[in-house]
Amino acid sequence: MLGSRRQRGKKTRALRIYFATDLHGSDVCFRKFLAAAKVYAADVLILGGDFAGKGLVPVLRENGSLTARVHGESVTVPATAWDQLASDVNRAGFYPVQMEAGAVAALDHDPAALDGLFRSEIAGQMQRWCDLAAERLDPAVRCIITPGNDDPVEADPVLAAHPRVECPELELCDLGPVTMASLGVVPTTPWDTERECSEDELGKQISQMLDQVPDGRNCILNLHCPPYASGLDDAPELDATLKPVIRGGRPSIVPVGSHAVREAIKRYQPVVGLHGHIHESRGAQKIGRTLCVNPGSDYSSGVLRGAVVDIAEDGTCLDFLLTTG
Amino acid sequence: MASSEAVESTRLFIRQTSGLVRELGIPAATGISLASVAVVNTFINFNAGLTDFAKADMYLPLVAAAVIWLVAMFGYRFLLRAVPRAGGEYVYLSRIVSPVVGAMAGLGIAVVFTYVLSTNAHFAAQFTPFMLAGFGLVFHSTAVANAGNHLTSNWAVAWLSIVVMLIVAALSLFRVKIVARIIFWLIVLQVVAFVVLIGVLAGSSHASFVSAFGNYSHNPGAYQAMITAAHGNGVLFGTSIASAIAIIPFMVLNYNGVLYSYYVGGELRRPGRTYLYASTISIGLLVVLWVGVWALLRARMGLTFMQAQANLGVANPTAYGKITSLSSVSGGLGYGMILTSNPVARLLFATAVPLAEIAVNLAFLTVTTRVLFAQAFDRLLPIGVAKVGDRNHAPNVAIGIVLIIGCAFCFLTSLVNLGSIVALQSLFFALILLAGGVAALFLPIRRPELIELPGASDDARRTFLRKVAWVGGATTVLALFTVYLLIAHSSVYGKFSWESILTLVIVLGAGPVIYAVARSIRRQRNSLDLTLAMHELPPE
Repeated sequence: MLGSRRQRGKKTRALRIYFATDLHGSDVCFRKFLAAAKVYAADVLILGGDFAGKGLVPVLRENGSLTARVHGESVTVPATAWDQLASDVNRAGFYPVQMEAGAVAALDHDPAALDGLFRSEIAGQMQRWCDLAAERLDPAVRCIITPGNDDPVEADPVLAAHPRVECPELELCDLGPVTMASLGVVPTTPWDTERECSEDELGKQISQMLDQVPDGRNCILNLHCPPYASGLDDAPELDATLKPVIRGGRPSIVPVGSHAVREAIKRYQPVVGLHGHIHESRGAQKIGRTLCVNPGSDYSSGVLRGAVVDIAEDGTCLDFLLTTG
Repeated sequence: MASSEAVESTRLFIRQTSGLVRELGIPAATGISLASVAVVNTFINFNAGLTDFAKADMYLPLVAAAVIWLVAMFGYRFLLRAVPRAGGEYVYLSRIVSPVVGAMAGLGIAVVFTYVLSTNAHFAAQFTPFMLAGFGLVFHSTAVANAGNHLTSNWAVAWLSIVVMLIVAALSLFRVKIVARIIFWLIVLQVVAFVVLIGVLAGSSHASFVSAFGNYSHNPGAYQAMITAAHGNGVLFGTSIASAIAIIPFMVLNYNGVLYSYYVGGELRRPGRTYLYASTISIGLLVVLWVGVWALLRARMGLTFMQAQANLGVANPTAYGKITSLSSVSGGLGYGMILTSNPVARLLFATAVPLAEIAVNLAFLTVTTRVLFAQAFDRLLPIGVAKVGDRNHAPNVAIGIVLIIGCAFCFLTSLVNLGSIVALQSLFFALILLAGGVAALFLPIRRPELIELPGASDDARRTFLRKVAWVGGATTVLALFTVYLLIAHSSVYGKFSWESILTLVIVLGAGPVIYAVARSIRRQRNSLDLTLAMHELPPE
């Protein structure tokens, strides 16, 4: 039975974590994330960064109808069908925003206004998500959401202020049998995203957290960026124009993870490393005694990918399972 | 309908974020599809078709097989639209039909692909004498040319197969980026050989081939002697419709790979549309190219001669050897070798098959290890199988497992008659196509939400779902037709015996059995149930 706590040797499960990452604005994936607490009997839900959507779809109001580009096709529906249209747009994680044709043209020529609109939509969605978590989650289930490199700082105050959600970014967090250290910053990317720094700086930030973990206390890492060359960081190689490099008739795949994260894992040997960032590199690897997991992401098709991790009373990792739901 | 102004104004604003926003377009996807088909093997495969099928002509099978893939393409297009990411049939079946069926496909593909690695190595080993003969011609060395004659025994072929596997193993231990470059240049050589061969054939005449074959064989009448000897050994000439229909599955397998851009579905821009155009272009190009090549071979060599040469080598090797030293399995590459005196062209023809097989094996090794990865991540295999090396970033454990089993298959293929055991290999590949058809058929029934049309009325959505079901059904029917032909012509494609059926059952049953065993063991040892891995989460 799912809810039972079977024994493996003398160890029993003290904590079950459900970890997902890189939802990128997908409402349906976030609802599934909340439902995962009950389905997997999780004690703690952790959303490990990159919750912000990548696209914004203007929905044109005109003569009582709404027109938008959905999955590459122009779609027109009556204004009364807004909810369905918004849901269809958001299936890819995009934000539907009603506006007049003139406003769309204005956004074309005003990058600052477009950026502001994105930031306000992302913060607004995070507020709705936190409210939904408060409404749907069992009070006994902890909900932890930490940002990733693609998440604007405007979402931070929303997370910090909400009573139902915890956001222990760059902090240690007590999960009972283990302590968790979280960091959403990643090494410099070609896209110059919101939360980036050098490998050296990243290494310092991780060390500052982990040096505070008491001796003998097991910890887990919630670092958005996976360790370099771990098999959890394989992504298409890009050329100078950010297009995939094709070699031998196929996209060239290269490791793009962090050396600093790898070094930290080797040095501190946490029991589990929870990672994301590279959607297509779903998997699990052992680095020394550390189990590193990247559940990957399939948010654009409304599928939630996650990982269930069981922790024993002594803080060791009992078992894990990658899930698709 | 939206006004034109509104249509022009509707768009998508993208913010600067990490990761790709589906960048692969039609040219890149077409390249992937074409690179997945072993182009140079066309000449060899025509020769194999003539050997396996009496009175065979390739025009109808080439076109019919293309039509089957064209219909299947629409089915895969809907699957790609529903599940726009890498994974192929394992992912489609496990997501749409059942995790157990997905496990059946996943592990079956891993096992069969491992066997294919060994047969490719075996194929390359069999071509070593032809390669040495080519080197002998180029370097004017009879010693090198004759060395090939000492490499035809079963043990020699077995060891050569192992050498090919070890070369593949050594190359696969480089970093992924370097392996991709190696595959790229091997494919470039293959394509160059293909183009040069077409040029050589197109620049020759029937009379010049007859003369060149006579010179190569040190017998001016060798061309006619081949036909006469074949006639005397009961080789059938001409063409027949029944034979052309029977050879359709053979050609279906030849096109295998032409739809493979769905394996990179996660990177395709507007996946459904891009995939459709790329696959249509690829199928169209291959039909035109292969029909053209076949027409060229018929015009230059003559169908009667090709049938005689291909079949006499099998029916009476002694009689064949008295007429010519040209390898009977070399097909178009052999014809090119004797038609040209250019040493570079001869080197290209001599090395085309071994190098192509190394490229194909490197690619197959990647696919097979990826399938093993997926099984390990789903906890059906130990997680150590997915271990990546610290230095080379390569999946050394998975590569090691595949190569050890592959080498064992190499010895068995060369030294033991595995014919009855692996007889149903062709059937398995047809079953993979059938799996794609079934997944497309089940898609609108079991997971309609994955392909529902945005903004459409309920009636329009239902009509669309019916269309998807029809396409899935058509793909399934054509795949079943292929399976029927394979079974009906089992004397050619693989006989049904207790060994072959048991092997197929083991291959197909391994996935579900391992799934059940792994689930049972894990339920006894701890609290995580494997069924949770594919549990559908309620969004509301």
